[in-house]
Amino acid sequence: MPEAVPQNGAYMVAAYIDAAVILLVYALTLFRRSRRPS
Amino acid sequence: MRETLRHAWIIGRKDLLLEFRSRTAILSAVVFTALVLVIFEFGRDPTAVATLDLAPSILWVTFSFAAMLGLNRAFQSELENQALDGLLLSPVSRVSLYWGKLLANLAFVAVVELVGLLLFTLFFNVPVGRILAPLLGVIALATIGFIAVGTLFSAMVIRTRFAELMLPVLLLPFLIPPLVGAVQVTAKLLAGRPLSEVGGWLRLLLAYDIVFVSLASILFPSTVTE
Amino acid sequence: MTLAQRGRWITAVALLLLAGVYVRALVFTPEEAHQGLAQKIFYVHAPAAWSAMLSMGLVGLASILFLLIKDPRYDRFAAASAEVGTAFSLVMLTTGPIWGKTIWGTWWTWDARLTLTLFLFFLFLGYLLMRGAVTEPGLRARYSAVLGICGLVLLPFIHLSVYLFRTLHPAPIVLKPSAPSLPPEMLVTLLSSFAVFTLLYVGFVTMRYAIGDGGGIDA
Repeated sequence: MPEAVPQNGAYMVAAYIDAAVILLVYALTLFRRSRRPS
Repeated sequence: MRETLRHAWIIGRKDLLLEFRSRTAILSAVVFTALVLVIFEFGRDPTAVATLDLAPSILWVTFSFAAMLGLNRAFQSELENQALDGLLLSPVSRVSLYWGKLLANLAFVAVVELVGLLLFTLFFNVPVGRILAPLLGVIALATIGFIAVGTLFSAMVIRTRFAELMLPVLLLPFLIPPLVGAVQVTAKLLAGRPLSEVGGWLRLLLAYDIVFVSLASILFPSTVTE
Repeated sequence: MTLAQRGRWITAVALLLLAGVYVRALVFTPEEAHQGLAQKIFYVHAPAAWSAMLSMGLVGLASILFLLIKDPRYDRFAAASAEVGTAFSLVMLTTGPIWGKTIWGTWWTWDARLTLTLFLFFLFLGYLLMRGAVTEPGLRARYSAVLGICGLVLLPFIHLSVYLFRTLHPAPIVLKPSAPSLPPEMLVTLLSSFAVFTLLYVGFVTMRYAIGDGGGIDA
């Protein structure tokens, strides 16, 4: 009996966006802080 | 080694004598413990949940508070008396200093926990007679775990801003393994399960104690060296 | 090239490669037969976990080296690695429950891995908070080193306690989590993601190290 594959694409999208946002925002803060004149 | 232990004993004794001379800290700790137990007693609905199900958690919430109170007291008296600076000038090794504080803290918390256990058995009618020895054993193991790391962190936290807030924040992750183990073992003991079922947890608690007491002994000097 | 510039370049490249991994994972990697699309979260979650663990491990190592050798650069590196580790463990801590919801039907469960993630995050946070609360650099370095080493030693104990706990109280499973045997396309995606996340770690840590205390010296 074939099981239905769960329709959880939304979760995948949420997780991928979440990870990207965290990493990009962090990268941005690092870029800005590293450009501050010493 | 004998020197270290002897010095540790002297330092510990000094701390405890100071403590019991004033008696305020120990009394407020005992009162607070009793209060926690009373709140649990009046907060629960005996028809809804069996005491035995709640008992381990109640006991360990109480003991965690006792441990935190003990650590706080130690470091309050440190802050007020700046005894640490004086001790550092004396020819006592840093490691004995740690052990002395460890012993003093343990003694303090042990008294509070014993009173707490007594009140617990009275309030909640939980029979601990048969399991007293293993129960005391697991209480000792878990408490050593809390206090070993707590004593080390107290020494560090004294010189930080927001010191009183820092100690519980830093300590929290370190309380988890001994706490989880202690609650599990206590639950099994109260349910009358044989000791063999909790062997894994007891080994974990023992390993935790050995590892962290040793680690703290090694690291403590770095927290007080100039 | 200054250290900061190098860091920026590495990070920029890593981010571009990350975009590539995203495309590969989302578009070109086959969907898993039984778990649905959410299984693909694995390609982001697992490498983030790796980077977080790597960060913690290196904080611990740098801490030990600092206490032994007393070179302040080790402390500076440890601080950098801790901040970077916080970011990666935040990724772990957010993607984990999202994925968990599809496997266990609930956002949170005291599963060994999720719990470890949570406490790893607390450890990093505590480390950074403590650094913020100590003003004198020498003291701060020593305290951080002590905390770093303790934190590293703690991790296996947390894992063990939760593992022991979980074998007695297994979490409800709606779907079985991804099987260990991955077909080649999935394996390539996973490995590329690991590589990119590692590169991202290197880029982040380089920039953060160059920033230092904010005075931003260039090495």
